[in-house]
Amino acid sequence: MTIGHHAMIDQWYPVALASQLPPEGRTTQLMGTAIRVLPGDPVRVVTGDGRDLRVTLRYGHVWTSLGEPSKDLFDIPEADQPGRRLVEVGVVRVRCSPLRAVENFLDIAHFPFVHTDILGAEPHTEVGKYDVEIREKEDEVWATKVQFYQPQAAKSATGGITTDYMYRVPAPTSTVLYKTCPARPGEWDVITLFVQPLTEELCDVWPWMALFDDETALTDLIHFQQMIFLQDRSILENQIPRLLPLDPGREIPTRADLTSVAYRRWLKRHQFTYGAQLVAQ
Amino acid sequence: MPTARERLTIRGNLGADSFLPWVARHAARLGLDGEIRHADAERVDIDVRGPADLIDAMEMGCLLGPIDVWVDAIERSSDPEWR
Repeated sequence: MTIGHHAMIDQWYPVALASQLPPEGRTTQLMGTAIRVLPGDPVRVVTGDGRDLRVTLRYGHVWTSLGEPSKDLFDIPEADQPGRRLVEVGVVRVRCSPLRAVENFLDIAHFPFVHTDILGAEPHTEVGKYDVEIREKEDEVWATKVQFYQPQAAKSATGGITTDYMYRVPAPTSTVLYKTCPARPGEWDVITLFVQPLTEELCDVWPWMALFDDETALTDLIHFQQMIFLQDRSILENQIPRLLPLDPGREIPTRADLTSVAYRRWLKRHQFTYGAQLVAQ
Repeated sequence: MPTARERLTIRGNLGADSFLPWVARHAARLGLDGEIRHADAERVDIDVRGPADLIDAMEMGCLLGPIDVWVDAIERSSDPEWR
């Protein structure tokens, strides 16, 4: 196993929805290791050889680690803000690198082409200039001042609006999107993608949301987000190479890919390479 | 598309032997003309000529670079000496 794999072993990963654990538990994998998530108080996660892993419950999910995380799971302060609806979307299995799933989520330029007439529409395909930084204190990737025209930015939106976005990557396979809240100007809706790496080329994706939206039925919110992600899945499962290249190689990143480039640089700096291709082929 | 001429000053941990050939390959892949003007373990200066969008792409590619190189930052300038 490489050094990079060790660096990612010490991270937290989602492995189940806490509210939907069956009595017999959930049998799954984490980075190629068979694990079982067992309901109870406390919830336990055990490996096939009987080792108890560290567990934390947050954002509706059971999180665990194969190693020894040096810090607590990242904070999303909006999760505790009164008045928000916390939406557990469920799980989508995707045959792609867990890092690819995150990188795709960060890519705004694909909206008009993949989520046509929902999150984007031609001819509004241009991504304006925005700011990207690796915040040293938090050790996170942030993209701010992102603006994009969207025909239907959220389930609660009734027409096209220019949507403001912020993207945040607080962990190698978790990302948080903050976007204009149609129902409450001045606040941000929070949409996250928590990715469970099953193997380097297979992952379970657990979207989760914290929204100000008292009107839309829960099932509609879930279906909207699932529809968006299923559109992404068909793209993700056909990307070549399957692993996320850290050397650009044949891919030619452009200025519109600034967030993706920052994400890959941050992965490279920390040697977070489980699911990455190190040398261009 | 108008042609631009710029100097990219790359700073970082650039000592790996792979870096300069990688830079040349990436510029060629983008169809940029260019020359490496200075190279040491911490700084590489490249003069490039081509469409501005492709020089942007050169900057993005070099920010990532090969796996054994770490790029801290890239400054871009029009170098009067080179014109």
